[in-house]
Amino acid sequence: MKAYDPLVKRLLDGELTLAELPPELQAEGSEALRLLGAVDRRAVVLPVTLEARVMDAVRTRGRAASPARRALRWFTDPWELRLSVRPWALGAALAAGAALVLVLGGPGAMVSLQGKGPAATASALPESLLVRFVLYAPGAKEVGLAGTFNQWNQSATPLLRAGNDGIWTVTLTLPAGQHQYGFVVDGRRWVTDPAAPAVDDGFGRRNSVIAVGGAVRGERGRVL
Amino acid sequence: MGLRLGLRDETTDGAVVRAVLGGDVERYAELVRRYRDRYARYAARMLGSADAAEDAVQDAFIRAYDQLAQCREPDNFAGWFFLILRNRCFAERRREARMGGGSGEIEARPIPAAEQPDGMMDAKERLHALQQALLDLTPEQREVFVLKHVEGLSYDEIAVRIGGSVPSLKMRMHRAYDRLRERLKDRM
Repeated sequence: MKAYDPLVKRLLDGELTLAELPPELQAEGSEALRLLGAVDRRAVVLPVTLEARVMDAVRTRGRAASPARRALRWFTDPWELRLSVRPWALGAALAAGAALVLVLGGPGAMVSLQGKGPAATASALPESLLVRFVLYAPGAKEVGLAGTFNQWNQSATPLLRAGNDGIWTVTLTLPAGQHQYGFVVDGRRWVTDPAAPAVDDGFGRRNSVIAVGGAVRGERGRVL
Repeated sequence: MGLRLGLRDETTDGAVVRAVLGGDVERYAELVRRYRDRYARYAARMLGSADAAEDAVQDAFIRAYDQLAQCREPDNFAGWFFLILRNRCFAERRREARMGGGSGEIEARPIPAAEQPDGMMDAKERLHALQQALLDLTPEQREVFVLKHVEGLSYDEIAVRIGGSVPSLKMRMHRAYDRLRERLKDRM
C-alpha cells in the first residue's frame, strides 16, 4: 500500500481539517482519521502497592547520596575490578593483575566480588578465558545472562545462586574481543551493568560491555 | 496569619528532593504518589501492557532515587524522572526485540482478520489492532506517536521533552503513519 499523501499526514498532524483536503483525498483522509480514532487514550492507574514496593527498595538503600557523599564513597567503598587478558599480551595483563591484587588487599582477590552491584570479572588461561559474571539481586527468582556470545538468548546462560545473600553468578569461557551483554531478572527485567563500560547500540541507547583482552576498571555497583 | 499550613501536597518537587537528599528518605513517597500514574499511560502504550508499565515505573522510581543527587533541577523532577522512565522503556523494547518478541502480550502479532463482511473492524477491534500495530513501530516512532496522539503533546512540546528538532520528529511520525497504514491495510 502506498504511503499517505503529504496532505493527509498534515491532516493527521492536526494542521489541516478533512474539509481542507481536495476531493480526491477525502477517502484517504477519512481512513486516516479512523486510525486516530482507534487510539487508546484511557488512563492507566497503577496499583497503590507500587508506592510501598518502591519505598521498601528505597529504605534498603538508605539515605540518598549527596555529591559529596558519593565522592567520599568513591574513595572508601570497595571497588569491583574487572580484568581481562589478551592471550598475546599475557605478561602485561598479569602485571595489571598484580596491581589489582594490591588494590584489593591481598592474594586470592584477583577474581573477587566486592561491593553490592552486578559485575563481571575475568581470569585468564593460556588457551581460554574464563569470565565470571556476578549480579546482586536478592529479590530475584531467576537470573539469566543474554549477550552477543549467546545470541541474546536469555535462557541459554542462567546464573546460579551463590549462597543465600542474593549473589548470582555464572562463569563462561569467552573468546578474546568485545562482548555486549545484560542480565535478565525473572525473565522480564533487563538490567544493564552499571559496573561496566557501555556502548551505543545504534539506536541511541547503550549496552554493557566486557572487553576480553584489556583491563577495565569497574565502578561501584548498584543494588537492584 | 497566612494560609501556609505546610501541606505536603503543596510542597514543590524541589523542596521534596532536597529533603530526601538531606536524609528524610520517607518523603520520597510524596514524589512516588505524585508521578506514579502521570506517566503510567505513556509506559503502558510504549510497552504494550499495564503490567509491563508497572514494572517500568517501579524500576524508574528506584533508579531515580539512586541518582537523585544528579537531578540538576530538583523543581523539574517530573521531567527528569520522565527521561529515566523513557530510557527504561526503550531498554525493555530493545530487549524484547533481541529476544524475538518476549511475552505474548507484548509480542507483535499479525493483526486479526476483520470479521465484518465489508472488511471493516468495530471500534474495539480497531483499538486492539492499532495497539498491536504500534508495537511494530520502532521505539522512536512509537514514542512520538504516543506523545502526540495519546498524551496530546505538540511537536514543540515533544521536542522539549525528548530533544530533537521538530522537522526530525515530524519525519519520524510520518514514517510511523505510513507503517501503521501498511500494517492496518484494509482494516480501518
